[in-house]
Amino acid sequence: MTNPLHLTEEERHMAADGSMGPEDLVVAQRHLRSCAECSADVERIRGLLDRVGQSAPSPVSTSDVNELWPAIRARIEQQKVVAMPGSAPVPARRRAIRPWGFAFGGTAAAAIAFLLFARRNEAPTVATDAVAVADSGGGAALIAVVDSTRAFEQEAQALLNHFELQRATMRPELARAFEHDLRVIDVAIAELEGAIASDPTNPALRRLLASSYRQKVDLLKRVDNAS
Amino acid sequence: MRAEFRLAGLALTAGLLAAAPCTAQRTADSVLLAKHADKSIGLKIWAPGGTLILKAWDRDSVDVRGRVASDEHFFGGGDARGMKFGLEPAGGSEPAGQSSLVVYVPRSARVSVKAVTARIEASGVSGSYYSVSGSMHLSGSASSIEAETMTGSLDLDLAVPWLRARTGDGHLMLRGAPEDVDVSTVGGTLDVMATSIKRGQLGSVSGDIHYAASPAGGAILEFSSHSGNVELILPSSVSGVFALSTVTGAIENRFPGVRPAAAPRSLRLNFGHGGAQVTVRTYKGAIRVRPQ
Repeated sequence: MTNPLHLTEEERHMAADGSMGPEDLVVAQRHLRSCAECSADVERIRGLLDRVGQSAPSPVSTSDVNELWPAIRARIEQQKVVAMPGSAPVPARRRAIRPWGFAFGGTAAAAIAFLLFARRNEAPTVATDAVAVADSGGGAALIAVVDSTRAFEQEAQALLNHFELQRATMRPELARAFEHDLRVIDVAIAELEGAIASDPTNPALRRLLASSYRQKVDLLKRVDNAS
Repeated sequence: MRAEFRLAGLALTAGLLAAAPCTAQRTADSVLLAKHADKSIGLKIWAPGGTLILKAWDRDSVDVRGRVASDEHFFGGGDARGMKFGLEPAGGSEPAGQSSLVVYVPRSARVSVKAVTARIEASGVSGSYYSVSGSMHLSGSASSIEAETMTGSLDLDLAVPWLRARTGDGHLMLRGAPEDVDVSTVGGTLDVMATSIKRGQLGSVSGDIHYAASPAGGAILEFSSHSGNVELILPSSVSGVFALSTVTGAIENRFPGVRPAAAPRSLRLNFGHGGAQVTVRTYKGAIRVRPQ
């Protein structure tokens, strides 16, 4: 009670949430009975705390999580879908579209389409990241197989880095067999990536690419086991 | 016709491999290790060259017999729960691979075998087998098998719930009664004659795949090859849905009464009541389906 005229901000909050010590509380209550301004403010804070308490989320049970998960998963999958030029539009939330919105949206879409087209022309490399196009019901499968390819690709690269350290101590016949098999698989991967560059929405190509990367990971593990 | 000759050749090879242990056993006369062992003992075996024969038996001991070449010596140790033994060069140089070991292990034991050029024969022994260029012939009943070789051949005649096998340029032959199967080669030919497979991933990069069996009811099989051909030789009693697709290869179907493919380079075949689901994918390898 440093200020004899009014309670401090901290004192008001402590009085409202009940955390004030008993001796200070006696003094504060005496002041509140005679000061309408402080009393009103403490009541305001108390009401605010009540509202916050009522809106706090209730604990979620495991069964609730299980029920919620499919929808969460669907939202995650939906966010992975990147619409490509010419693909079916991704369903969006309904809201009022103002006329200027059409103009702005059209301009933006044209700019994005131009950038994508220009980029494809200048760099015909295969993007193995999440690229998905809404084909006839195969969109989710395509996303899954692209994810799978990326996972195998990353694992293969990690194993290759690890393998470089072992290469010097490897038996010559093992090294020869490894180099040969790696070349065969890398040629297959290069062919598939070239085919995907010209047909990026073909899920069969993506699956074969994932399969080839899996073969590469298997080879690297096999040579590690044989070392 | 060529396929019949090939299968006959495979059967002959398998027969010769099966007869090989008799030759090795005649010289395996000295006991190198004999110890009490738990039923589920774990064994690490190092056999760089020569011949290694593993047999499961219904006794609570591990018994190693064999003939050790002069440029190698036998080492071993461990207790009833785990042992490690094998052969190593006596003078530090690479051994010539003239040694042969015959190992008896409890039926529930698990082995981890590492070899370089050694030929491995195992009957009813579960575990993992790794080799550089040695061939393997694994047979009998086991709980799980993992077999890998860089260039050697694998002849797998197993009744096993879980099987994983890999080779590079070697020939991989799968028969017996495996259930959950994941097998692949890089350039080697993959021959499958097992009807018991319930879940199967069978692949190659540039090797041919031959499947001469009828898929089990409810089986899900996936064949994939980049540039190798995939040939399915099916009996008239086959039942299943076969989805075949290739990117630049050809699909050749010799079953009568099948309508032409709806989409280019893809074909869907329904046989019987559609019990199994079989998917075949290639990039430029041909897919051939024909009756037995």
